[in-house]
Amino acid sequence: MTKKRKRQEDFQKVKFKVGKKKPKLENATDTTFKTKAIQIPEQLKEDGVLPTQNRKLNIKDLLSQMHHYSPGVKHNALLGLKELLSQYPFVIDAHLSSIISEVAAVFTDKDSSVRGAAVHLLQFLASKIRAEQIAPFFPLVSAHLSSAMTHISEGIQEDSLKVLDVLLEAYPALLTDRSIILLKNFVELISHQQLSKRLKSRDKLSWMLSVNPNRRVTSQQWRLNVLTRLKKFLQAVVDGSSDTEDEGLQEQKDNSHSVRNPVCISWKLHANNQQPIQLFENGGLRPKINSSFRLRSLTSVMDSAEKGLSSAENLKAFIEIIIPLLIECWIEASPAQSAPILGNLLESESQQLMQQVLSIIHLLWKLTKRHDETYKMELWLRMNYLVDFKHHFMRHFPYSLQDTVKHKKKDPCKSNRNCMKSSNNIDHLLLNLTLCDIMVSLASASTLQTDSGWLDMIRKFVTDTLQDGSKLNSKQVNRLLGVTWRLMQIQQNKATEPLIKAVYTLYQQRNLLFPVRTLLLKFFSRVYQKEDLRTQRIRSRSKVLSRWLAGLPQQLALLGLRNPELSNQLIDIIHSAASRSNKELLQSLQATAARIYDPLEGTLVLLPAEAQRRLVQLVYFLPCLPASLLACLSRCCIMGRMSSELAATLIGILHMRSSFAGWKCQVQDNSVNDVDYFSFLFSTLIGFSREELTSLQGIRGKPHISQTQLSPIRLYLTDLDQFLHHWAVTEVICHSLSTIPSQSQCFDILQTGICKYLVGLVVIPDSTAGSVLCAINKLLDQACIISENLHRFLASCCYSLLYFLLTIDREDAEHLQKRDMLWRSCISALALLPRLLRLMLQSLQVSRICREELPVVAQLLRLLMQHGQLRSHMITNEFLVQQIIKDIMV
Amino acid sequence: MAAPMEVALVSDAAGPLCNCSVWELHSGSALPGYRGGNSGPRGLALLGGEHLLGAQLGKSYINVWELQRKDQLQQKIICPGPVTCLTASPNGLYVLAGVAESIYLWEVSNGNLLAILNRHYQDLTCLCFTDDSSHFLSGAKDCLALVWNLYNVLQAEPSQIPDPRHVWSRHSLPITDLCCGFGGPLARAATASLDQTAKLWEISSGELLLSVLFDVGIMAVTLDLSEYHMFCGGMDGSIFQVDLCAWPVQRDRTFQTERENGKVFKGHRNQVTCLSVSTDGSLLLSGSHDETVRLWDIQSKQCLKTMNHKGPVTNAFIVLAPANMLNPEGKPSVPLPKFSRHLHGTESSDEPGAEGVTLRLGLHQQEPGQSYLEKAERMYSQMYSTREKNLVGDQEHLTIQQKESLTPGTSGPRDPRTFKLPLRLRRDGGSGWGSLLG
Repeated sequence: MTKKRKRQEDFQKVKFKVGKKKPKLENATDTTFKTKAIQIPEQLKEDGVLPTQNRKLNIKDLLSQMHHYSPGVKHNALLGLKELLSQYPFVIDAHLSSIISEVAAVFTDKDSSVRGAAVHLLQFLASKIRAEQIAPFFPLVSAHLSSAMTHISEGIQEDSLKVLDVLLEAYPALLTDRSIILLKNFVELISHQQLSKRLKSRDKLSWMLSVNPNRRVTSQQWRLNVLTRLKKFLQAVVDGSSDTEDEGLQEQKDNSHSVRNPVCISWKLHANNQQPIQLFENGGLRPKINSSFRLRSLTSVMDSAEKGLSSAENLKAFIEIIIPLLIECWIEASPAQSAPILGNLLESESQQLMQQVLSIIHLLWKLTKRHDETYKMELWLRMNYLVDFKHHFMRHFPYSLQDTVKHKKKDPCKSNRNCMKSSNNIDHLLLNLTLCDIMVSLASASTLQTDSGWLDMIRKFVTDTLQDGSKLNSKQVNRLLGVTWRLMQIQQNKATEPLIKAVYTLYQQRNLLFPVRTLLLKFFSRVYQKEDLRTQRIRSRSKVLSRWLAGLPQQLALLGLRNPELSNQLIDIIHSAASRSNKELLQSLQATAARIYDPLEGTLVLLPAEAQRRLVQLVYFLPCLPASLLACLSRCCIMGRMSSELAATLIGILHMRSSFAGWKCQVQDNSVNDVDYFSFLFSTLIGFSREELTSLQGIRGKPHISQTQLSPIRLYLTDLDQFLHHWAVTEVICHSLSTIPSQSQCFDILQTGICKYLVGLVVIPDSTAGSVLCAINKLLDQACIISENLHRFLASCCYSLLYFLLTIDREDAEHLQKRDMLWRSCISALALLPRLLRLMLQSLQVSRICREELPVVAQLLRLLMQHGQLRSHMITNEFLVQQIIKDIMV
Repeated sequence: MAAPMEVALVSDAAGPLCNCSVWELHSGSALPGYRGGNSGPRGLALLGGEHLLGAQLGKSYINVWELQRKDQLQQKIICPGPVTCLTASPNGLYVLAGVAESIYLWEVSNGNLLAILNRHYQDLTCLCFTDDSSHFLSGAKDCLALVWNLYNVLQAEPSQIPDPRHVWSRHSLPITDLCCGFGGPLARAATASLDQTAKLWEISSGELLLSVLFDVGIMAVTLDLSEYHMFCGGMDGSIFQVDLCAWPVQRDRTFQTERENGKVFKGHRNQVTCLSVSTDGSLLLSGSHDETVRLWDIQSKQCLKTMNHKGPVTNAFIVLAPANMLNPEGKPSVPLPKFSRHLHGTESSDEPGAEGVTLRLGLHQQEPGQSYLEKAERMYSQMYSTREKNLVGDQEHLTIQQKESLTPGTSGPRDPRTFKLPLRLRRDGGSGWGSLLG
C-alpha cells in the first residue's frame, strides 16, 4: 500500500478543468523580459596599428579626407583630427609633418567653417607642440600663412589674421624670422600700390590705403584689426631681438648679462676642499663646451643676406612704406577730422586706431635704436618725418583734456559715462605718452632751439602728469619716467630742474605702490650717477637731487621693518653715494646714524642678515664716529641680534677706522678718538652693560648662579647661545687689542677698566670672567705690571670658574660645551701668572668650608698637579699645596 | 752672468736710515740698501731696470735713486700732493702716481705730465700695469676698480675726459690691493677689498670670474706666475691660498687634518700689507704691520725666514735683479728728466706736435706719405749712426746726451729705449688692444 501511495505521489496527475487556467509548468521559460541594445562606441581593441576616433577613422583616413572636395567632409575631418589628437597625443609626434602640411593647406580653404575648424585645430596643436619641434616645418606653415594673407578672397584674408594670432602667441621667435614677407603682407592687407602713370615716373612706388566695400567690417575696423596684429608682431620682433632692454629706464651699461656667471665661494668651504674652483675651461675631467656657434641656423632657411628688420636698410625701407600709411590712418581717425562729421569723439575704434598707430611707430623707433649708427638713423627720421608728425600728431597734443572737455559738453547728465571717462582717461594717458616717446626721440641737444615749441608742450604735459600722478600704475610711471629721462638728456642743466622737481613731488606722495616707488628710486639714482660722472669742475648739483639724497637715511630709519626690499634699495643707493663721499648724504647719514644703529629698534637690528651686512659696511664711510655711536654699535655687537661673524666684521671695520691700522706718519683724521675706541673694545669685551651687571647682582639661587664658599665671586651662568656669541666676539676683540702697537699701555688701560668696573662686583657672568682671562692672556708680556687688586680679582674669578667647571652635571649639555673654552683660558692664565696661582691656592682655606666642597678642591688640586704647564709652578708652591692637602685630610 | 738673481726689495715706515733694503732671495744675503726718506705703502717701483722710485710717506714728493748708487738720493720729483700709490710701466716708458683722488701719468723720456685722470671719488689705494703696459688698473677707497687703456688715455683730447675701459663696482668697501696676471690685455686681475672678498676679473671682457668670501678683510693679494694660486693676506695676519685650478684626480691623502689647514699661512700677528711670489712659484714673500717680513715655502706652508724691521712694512716684492743693481759701474743710459707738475699741452705754448712722432694708424688712407715701416727704418739707421758715434768715447757720449736732454724737441735719435717713447699710437675710433682681441 505504501508503495502504491508513493507511486501516486510521484506521478500525480494534474487534471485540467475547463474554465480554469492552466497552472504554469515549473520549467516554463519566462518570456516577459525586454531587451535593449548596448551600444559600444568603439571596439575594445582596435585592429590594425593606428588608433582611431569615434568614427573609426585613423589618422591616415582623416588626413586623406582633407583632400575631399566637400567642405562638410573636410570640416568633419578637422574636428575628428582634433578629437583623435587630444585622445592620443603620441600620434602628434609620429605624424607631425603630415598633420602640419595638411592643416596648413586648409588655411586657404574656400569654406569659412573649414577655416574656422583649422584655426581651432591649430590652436590646439600650438599648445602641444614645442617651438623647436615645429621649427623645421615652419617655412611651410608661414608660406601657407602668407598665401592666406595675400589671398584674393576677403574672408580668407580675415581668417588669416586669426592664424597669425595663434602663431604669434605660441611661436613669436619663429615668426619674426620671416619678418620681411610678413611685413609686406601686412602692408598689402590695408593698402595697394599706386599705379597711376603720374607717379610711375618716380622710381619709388608709393602705397595708398585701400578701401574694399566687400568686407564684412568697416574699413576702419579692418585697419584696426590689421594694425593690432602688426603691432603685436613688431612687439615680438622687439622682444626677441633684445632681452636686455626694457622700457623707459634701461640703457644702463651693466655687465650683468655676461655669458659667464662668476663663481662665488666662501673661503671656509674652499679651505675644507668642499668647494674646488675650476677656472680654466678645459681643466676638468671633461671639456666644457659653451660655444654658441651654430653651423646652420635652424629657423631661417631663407637666404642669409636677408636679415629682416635687423638690417638698417630693410628697416628704413619698411619705415618709408608704413609711416605714410599710418599717417593716413591717423588722419582718418583723428578728432579734427571726425569731429565735424561724426560728432562722436569718444568712438573707441578711432581711439584704438590712434593708439595702434602710435604704438607701431614707437616700436619702429625702438628698432632703429638697435643699430650701430643710431645717430644717423635719428637724423634721417627727423629729416623725413618731423614735419609730418608735428603737423598731424602734435596739433591736438594733450589728447585726454580736449576729449574729456568735449565729452562733458555733450552729455553732462549721464552719470554712468563718468566711469567710462576715467577708463578712457587712462587710455589717453597711454596715447599721449607714446606720442611723447616718439616725438622726444626725434629731438636732440643740438636741435633744442628749433624744437622748443613742441618740446615745451611735452614738458608741460609731463610735468603736470607727474605732479598729480599719485594714482598712476607702475607701467605708466615707467613710460613717464622714460620720457622724462630723455627730456633731461636733451636739455641743459638748468632746464632739467623743474622736471626733477616734478618727479620729486611724485616721490613725496605717501601711499605709492611699491613698484612705483622702486621706479622712482631707480630714476633718481640714475640721474645721480649721471651727474656724478662729470668731473668735479663741471659738476653742477641739482638742488632737488641733493635734497632727495639727503632724505634717504631718514627714510631708511623711518621705514624700519616694514618693507625690507625697499630698505635694501635705499641702502644700495646710500652705499653708492657714501662710497663716493657725497657730502650732503654723509651729513644726513651722520645725523641719522644714531637711529639707524640703535641697539633696540634701529634699522640695523631689525633687518635681515644681508641688509645688516650692508649697513655694517656703511659704518666705514661715516665721517665721524662719536662715543655715543660707538656705544650703540658695541651694544649691537653684544646683544646677539647680529651674527657673530657680522660683529667681527664690524670690529674689523672700526679697527680700520681707528688710528692703529694706518701708517704712523700719515696724517690721521681724528674721526675715531682713541679713548672712544678703547671704550668700545672694552665694553664689547665685557659683553654686558653696566645696568645689566647691576641688575645681575640681585640674583640668587641654583639654576642661574654657581656659588662657592671659597671665593667671593659668584658666577652667573649665561645661556649657551649668548656664551658662544660672546666668546666669538671676545676672540676678535682680543685680536684687535693685540695688534695695538704698545702692548703694555694697552694692558694698563684694560687693567684700569677691569678694576674700575668689575672688581667689587659679587655676581659676574661666566662668559665675562672667561673673556677677561682670555684678554689678559693675550696681552700680557714682561713689561706689564699687574696690580694687587687685579690679581686678587683674577684669582677669585679663576677659582669660581674652576669650581663651576668641576661641578657641572654630566647631563647638563648646555653648560658642558663651555667647559673646554673656560678651562683653557683659566689654565693658561694660571700658567702665565705664577702669582695668580699662588693667590688662588692661598685662598683655598679649607678649614672654613663645609664638607661637600672638599672633594672638588681635591680634584682640582689633582688636575692642576697633573697639568704639564703648571707642574713647575705647583712645585714652587709646594708648601701651600701640602697645607691644603693636610687640611683636607683632617 | 749665470741665471738671473732674484732679490727682494723691502721698505718699512720706520726711518730714513735704510729706506729700502735688498736681499738675495735664496741665499738671504743682504745687499746694500737704498738710503734716505721712507716709502709709503704701494709706493716703491722699479723704473726700466735703471731707477728706483719711492713715494715719500706723507709728503708730496717721490724719491729717485739710480739703481747702482745706493747710498744717497739722487733726485726728488715734486708732486701736487702726498702720493698714495705709485707704479711704473714694465717697459719703462710711463710712471703712474695716485695723488688724492687723481691719477697722474708722466712720460719718462721727457718728464711731461700727460694726463690727470679724475674718475675716482676718493683717495687712490693702488695702481697696477698689465705686463705689456697696454692697460693699467686703479683701485681706490670709493670701492671702485677701474681698468684704463693706456692708449685711449693718451690720445684723448685735453678737453674731454677719457673713459675707463671697465668700471668694476662689485666691491662694497675700499679696494686694498690689485694684482694683474700674465697675458697683457687678456690677463686676469685680482682685487682685494676690506669687504672680506677677493675677486678675480678678466681684463678683456671686464667680467667677474670669481669671488671668494673670507672671514676677515683682505689687505693684499697676489697671483703666482702660472695663476694656479691666488694668495690673499688678511687683516688678522693670516695668508690664504686659493687654488684656482682644482685637480680632478685626488691621490689618496690620509692626513685629513693637515689638509684642512693646508691652505693658510699662519705667523703674522698683524695685518698683511704686501705679498709677492717668486718667479718659480715656490716662495712667497709677505710683509706685515707687525714689523716683520716673512719668506714662506708655498708647498709646505712653512716660514723659511723672518726678517725683523723697525716699522710696519710698506712694500715687499720680489724682482729679477736688474744688472745695474749688482754692477756698481752701470749707469742709466739716460738721466731722468725733470718731471713736470703741470699738465702737458695746457700751459706749454709750443704746439703739441712739435716733439716726438705722432703715429696715426688711421691716417694712412688720407695721406700717402711715408709708411710707418719706412720711418722706423730711417730712424733706426740714424740711431745706429749715433751708437757708433757713442763708441768713440764716453766723454762725447755724455755731451750728446746732455744736448739731447736739453733739447727734447728734436726728433733726433737717442737710444733705442727713448726712441720708442715719443711714438704715440693713435687709432681712429678704436678702443685699444682688447677690443681687437676680446
